[in-house]
Amino acid sequence: MSQDERKIKVALKYCGSCNPYVDSGRIARHLAKVVEARGDAELVSLSEDGIGVVVILCGCPRACGNKPEVRDRAERSLVVAGESLGGKAVQEVSIPAAVEQELIRILDS
Amino acid sequence: MSMMTGKQYRESLRRLKPEIYYMGEKIASLVDHPAFVPHVNAAALTYEMALAPEFEELVTATSHLTGEKINRFTHVHHNHDDLVKKVKMLRAIGQQTGSCFQRCVGHDGLNAVYSVTYDIDQKMGTDYHKRLVDLLKKVQSRDLMISGAMTDPKGDRRLSPSQQKDPDLYVHVVEKRKDGIVVSGAKAHITGAVNSHGHLVMPTAAMKKEDADYAVCFYVPIDSPGVVHIFGRQTNDTRKCDCSLDQGNVEYGIVGGEALIIFDKAFVPWEHVFMCGEYEFAYDLVERFATAHRQNYGGCKTGLADALIGASYTLAQVQGTDRASHIRDKLVEMVHLTETLYCCSIACSCQGFALPAGSYMADPLLANVTKLNVTRHIYEIARLAQDIAGGILATSPAEMDWKDARVGKYVDKYMKGVADLPAETRIRLIRLIEAMTCGTALVESMHGAGSPQAQRIMIERRANLERKKRLAEKLAKIGEQPLFVT
Repeated sequence: MSQDERKIKVALKYCGSCNPYVDSGRIARHLAKVVEARGDAELVSLSEDGIGVVVILCGCPRACGNKPEVRDRAERSLVVAGESLGGKAVQEVSIPAAVEQELIRILDS
Repeated sequence: MSMMTGKQYRESLRRLKPEIYYMGEKIASLVDHPAFVPHVNAAALTYEMALAPEFEELVTATSHLTGEKINRFTHVHHNHDDLVKKVKMLRAIGQQTGSCFQRCVGHDGLNAVYSVTYDIDQKMGTDYHKRLVDLLKKVQSRDLMISGAMTDPKGDRRLSPSQQKDPDLYVHVVEKRKDGIVVSGAKAHITGAVNSHGHLVMPTAAMKKEDADYAVCFYVPIDSPGVVHIFGRQTNDTRKCDCSLDQGNVEYGIVGGEALIIFDKAFVPWEHVFMCGEYEFAYDLVERFATAHRQNYGGCKTGLADALIGASYTLAQVQGTDRASHIRDKLVEMVHLTETLYCCSIACSCQGFALPAGSYMADPLLANVTKLNVTRHIYEIARLAQDIAGGILATSPAEMDWKDARVGKYVDKYMKGVADLPAETRIRLIRLIEAMTCGTALVESMHGAGSPQAQRIMIERRANLERKKRLAEKLAKIGEQPLFVT
């Protein structure tokens, strides 16, 4: 098994971005850097098999991307819904770091 | 073939040879002509955004015919979620283009014709619905952009189609042949007409028995013989050819790029005919199309308004007025009006319902309220943007003078706002606001999807004034009344 095949697959799912309260693109770009820097994980398309973590990026609390069929694509999921992460309030400016922290906790567990 | 990219869409247009005229010139390649490029760009974004992970949740759907992933603009709504997602998609795309992206008209036409052909077949024993489904499969698999062509020139508005002195003032059947029909007439103000792959032509109004030849619905490829396009003028349209910055919205233009489509004895094979003489269904088709299209306007126009609010806010910062309380109040009012329109579109979608064909349509009363509000609120939003911008909106020097070696330095000096930002930033914002509020773009909000009176007529039909009367009579204790008015 190659090193790439052992990497934990991380996928992003966007809500559709009609009228977002938070900049999901900024969060995504931050996560891409985090995943790349670690070396033991990789960003993949949600259509791939064997996804370890799906980060669902929703611009508002309506959370259109947070659906069972999306969560079921991965072993674990993280949900940003407006200014919240996993149902807990987080200010927008702190969301990228908060998601990074949570993602690292999952990847290290 | 699956969903196209923007580049593939442009290439697909290059392969077509439609007959298009603009400013006395026959257009050889609209994809490369500066008058058309912004409109092609805006439509191309409907392809690009379907492939972008950020937007695919809204801009794609699953075909109920094939189970394949398709562009939502080729989808037939089958539940409330589809209706809501259409509105959200339109807002999301409008935010990116700041201009009409054209593709919703054909989408709404396909949905309307899908359900009405089913109803016609049920009553008349025809096979229009199967023909429409066959076309829809092609549209979905090839990711085609279809224009929705409904409005006839109408001539003397006092007269019905068959009473007009010139019969061509409404599209009509001039000959029925074994292999198809021959049609003449024209459709006016057709959005995206010149950069679509084909036209879905629908009757424009309720028809009577004597108008049966005018109760015709069909599809024609854009380059069919006898189909001629005359592209319409727009405010400041020569700026598309002689400058860049002064266009304001260089990439996507100011409106959808409307054209007059003439059918000069154009032939349509039976496989592309979806109504031919069934005049009693013309009204249903008009109402379903109009409802679908009026549902949209609290989506796309709010997307545009988002960009306009952003431009106004940024210009206020550049001019040093952003902390003035009246400016902030005006920005809040713009947001309030924008979100009011969005509420309308979301509401009419949530109150939508299933039709006999299994497809869904928005609530007609609420959809008409949506569009009628757009005819007012967008103008008020534009007025506030102009208020915030100041008189410079109408007096800003030309791009050529800004670039001129002799006077450019003066433009830089005197067009500056706050000291740490260049004049160019201010000029760009002024031009964007000018493009979005001074001219053709606003007329689109007034008359697109039908003029205000058309919405009032439909609102009155759905108003149920008699029930409201009973409510009042009960409260006023006029006559004998039940415990509850139901």
